[in-house]
Amino acid sequence: MPSDIFACFFFFRHGILSPQHFEPGAFTVLADYGYVGILLVAAILFTILLLLIPLTLSLLGVVPRKSNPVKTSTYECGLETIGKTWVQFNFRYYLFAILFVALDVLTIFLYPWAVNLRGLGLFGFIAMVAFFIILLVGYVYAWRKGALEWK
Amino acid sequence: MILKELQLLTPELSLLVFALLVIMLDLFIKQKKVLVVVSIAGILVSAGFTLSLWGIHATDILYAMLSVDQYALLFKLIFLVAAGLVILASQDYISKFAQFQSEYYALVLISALGMMLMAAAQDLIAVYVSLELSSISLYVLASFLKDQKSTEAGLKYLLLGAVSSAVLLYGMALVFGLTGHTCMPCIADSLKGMPISNIMQSPALLMGLILIVAGFGFKIASVPFQMWVPDVYEGAPTPVTAYLSVASKAAGFAVILRVLFVVFGATAWLSQDWGLLIAVLSAITMMVGNVVALSQSNIKRMFGYSSIAQAGYLMVGLAAVGMAAGSDALGRSGLLFFLMSYTFTNLGAFIAIIAISNKLNSDQIEDYTGMSKRAPLLAIALTLCLVSLTGLPPTAGLIAKIYIFNGAVNHGLLWLVIIAVINSVISAFYYFRIVKVMWMGAPASEEKVPSTWALRVALSLCCLFVLLLGVLPAGFMGIAQAAVKIFTGS
Repeated sequence: MPSDIFACFFFFRHGILSPQHFEPGAFTVLADYGYVGILLVAAILFTILLLLIPLTLSLLGVVPRKSNPVKTSTYECGLETIGKTWVQFNFRYYLFAILFVALDVLTIFLYPWAVNLRGLGLFGFIAMVAFFIILLVGYVYAWRKGALEWK
Repeated sequence: MILKELQLLTPELSLLVFALLVIMLDLFIKQKKVLVVVSIAGILVSAGFTLSLWGIHATDILYAMLSVDQYALLFKLIFLVAAGLVILASQDYISKFAQFQSEYYALVLISALGMMLMAAAQDLIAVYVSLELSSISLYVLASFLKDQKSTEAGLKYLLLGAVSSAVLLYGMALVFGLTGHTCMPCIADSLKGMPISNIMQSPALLMGLILIVAGFGFKIASVPFQMWVPDVYEGAPTPVTAYLSVASKAAGFAVILRVLFVVFGATAWLSQDWGLLIAVLSAITMMVGNVVALSQSNIKRMFGYSSIAQAGYLMVGLAAVGMAAGSDALGRSGLLFFLMSYTFTNLGAFIAIIAISNKLNSDQIEDYTGMSKRAPLLAIALTLCLVSLTGLPPTAGLIAKIYIFNGAVNHGLLWLVIIAVINSVISAFYYFRIVKVMWMGAPASEEKVPSTWALRVALSLCCLFVLLLGVLPAGFMGIAQAAVKIFTGS
């Protein structure tokens, strides 16, 4: 969803969708799409080429085949997993995660506000207090309902 | 200037304060009846502020994000009335989720807040944000019973709702990409500035229009975006179903009329383009809704399909607005009158259903047999609402249909009106099946159906307005005309 907006914005910024392209008999739109087509073909050919190089080289015998367990293992770095990877997480993590996100947004929002507080004046202060109170209601609600307790 | 803007926002701000108050009070108070009183007080206060703003000159506030005008104010009142009646009617139902009362009331209030912002939104971004505010509350409300059906309803609503808002956003992005604006009047100006041949050659604008209609089509439950309706209506708690079928639909129409008229009504030919699109969708919506409703045995599912059919009638009005291309306000005010009438009628029917199904513990139509003997007043009220939904005198439904069809005939949509009238006849069959079952059949038991005073108040208010709108429509039509006056200049 956000990527679509971004794409649209991108097209708009770079003139692919800009109003002058919609003049009568304007073929620039088609031409622009032509560039996209050429790029697409180039991208596909490049991928195929990259896949073919090691195959041809190994067929010609240029590439040595010396397999060992370290080389064939999936992980290149990090720790080996112990036990099964399908572990069930406690659902309480969700509650904490949600609370964290809410307060995190508050923090992010506080920074630009604090920098500009003098410019924003009294109205900026009151607006932030209102925002803070709304979040606080949520926090108190979570607290009283026992979302912060690990039972 | 800021104080002035805040003053214009008082209906929304007061509702938000009361919603937060409900959440907080629940944490510290044992007596849960207080919560109902506080929620109703919130709605009354907000409605009072809305009424005090009535008659105001249309003003843009918050950097032209919202517009406070008669149109928005009328819709705000409709949402507040719907939310208030739903809260009153939930009193019979609340035992099923006694543990989560404050959340229920707060979510109803917050979704009403979202809808109020939706009606006032004058910027595509504001439309989207307020749409999400109301929708997310409704997703939660739909799954409030926590049983299998209700959870399914909530999940279906959430998933399909997410897809539809993605589609809507895509449409908005295309329109923004073409014009470079998100504010509706700016887009309209930008479109007016382009020669017709330019717009014709750009599929982006038409694509954006279609995607936006699709996104709102989900909200108003028009075919082919109606798939969620029967399942969600059946699974959700009955008061929430009532709320969904009335307020959510009205909000959808509030915003679609504004977007289509202000943004895409800028040029006459474009306006007729979407007029025709809506007309065709409307014909299909009516047919599908009414024909499928015929074979339903569950009353909530039946009302789901009936609400799809009603959306079809409303879209006749919307199509007339498009075809008139701004020259005639009859379609617009007719649409608003139909929404008022539909709000009271459908809410009334659902309130009666809440009381009856609460006692029966069943939503099957056959279980309503002989209800006239077990609950005469509820049966009379439900009959009145069904008569109004069919569109027979002396109720609101008839007048509403006359206004809407009149507007459509005036603008060359005679074929659509003929389809709509045929559909009204079809709908009489399934509406009157319930009436027949209630009045003709012998009751399975003699037990009376109990109801609380709150529900009775809500139900009698609905019935009163159904009759008032039917007998004295002129005053309400005057209100609707005053509300759409803001559009005549643009």
